[in-house]
Amino acid sequence: MLEIIATAFIATGAVFFIAGTVGLLRFPDIYCRLHALTKADGLGLALIALGLALMANSFGEVFRILLIWFFVAVASATGSHLIASHARLVDRVHENDPDRERQT
Amino acid sequence: MTPQAPKHDHASAPLPTRALTLRAQNPQPRWRRFASNFVALMLIWLILTDFRLDALVFGIPAVFAGSALVFLTPSTPRWRLSPYGAGGFVIWFAIQSVRGAVDVAWRAFSPALPLQPGFGCYSPALPEGAPRILFVNTITLLPGTLSAEISGSDVIVHMLDKSADLQADLRALELRVAALFGLSPDTEVSG
Repeated sequence: MLEIIATAFIATGAVFFIAGTVGLLRFPDIYCRLHALTKADGLGLALIALGLALMANSFGEVFRILLIWFFVAVASATGSHLIASHARLVDRVHENDPDRERQT
Repeated sequence: MTPQAPKHDHASAPLPTRALTLRAQNPQPRWRRFASNFVALMLIWLILTDFRLDALVFGIPAVFAGSALVFLTPSTPRWRLSPYGAGGFVIWFAIQSVRGAVDVAWRAFSPALPLQPGFGCYSPALPEGAPRILFVNTITLLPGTLSAEISGSDVIVHMLDKSADLQADLRALELRVAALFGLSPDTEVSG
């Protein structure tokens, strides 16, 4: 029974990873793509971690899975903020430079 | 503690900065922060290595170096975490991140690609340091919002749908973060 629940969590997590990748490919600019990656992949990882934690054999394993989820979540939020703020900086530079085509 | 005020109140009334900074305490002495970091990091290391004693050959130098970083960083005000606020925040955070992921997944799979991207601006009244860092990082996990830039005391937010009520959404988040750090402005929330 526990395996079925865990598999359901992991499968749902995989669907969110696919959604994040589809968003990365289909969304029009860098900011929208960051939305897809941070939010959909973040929940995908959380669901997969939850499924794996249900099947873990020891408290140490659960703790390590939790730690992985926590650090990825923090790094993803901080990283996407840094990418977005750099993109805005590049946008501003290009706005002041009429000869150059904008590339996004 | 839970904000029950009608929606338009969230948008109109900014948080009073003075009420929020009231309970910030003086910086902890560095050696005490070093000691508390050392204990926390050592606990993490021991659980990571399944309490293997031979792994401490690497563990003790790593934990020592990690804790010693407090001597290189500027001292920040000490914050008291409210257990009640933390419980509420965790549950609310889980619900919001599921909503955010479902929302963006729906937009990605939808053939019409329903996006109206745009930028918005929000001025949080939260004090500098941990409360504001948590606020900015959590924006990205809310449905449809992404923290794009910090400009002075303003946060520039990218929205997937610029017709959404940014001020109300972020004010709800700000109140949650304030409650987590025991900064709830009592006069604001009771009404």
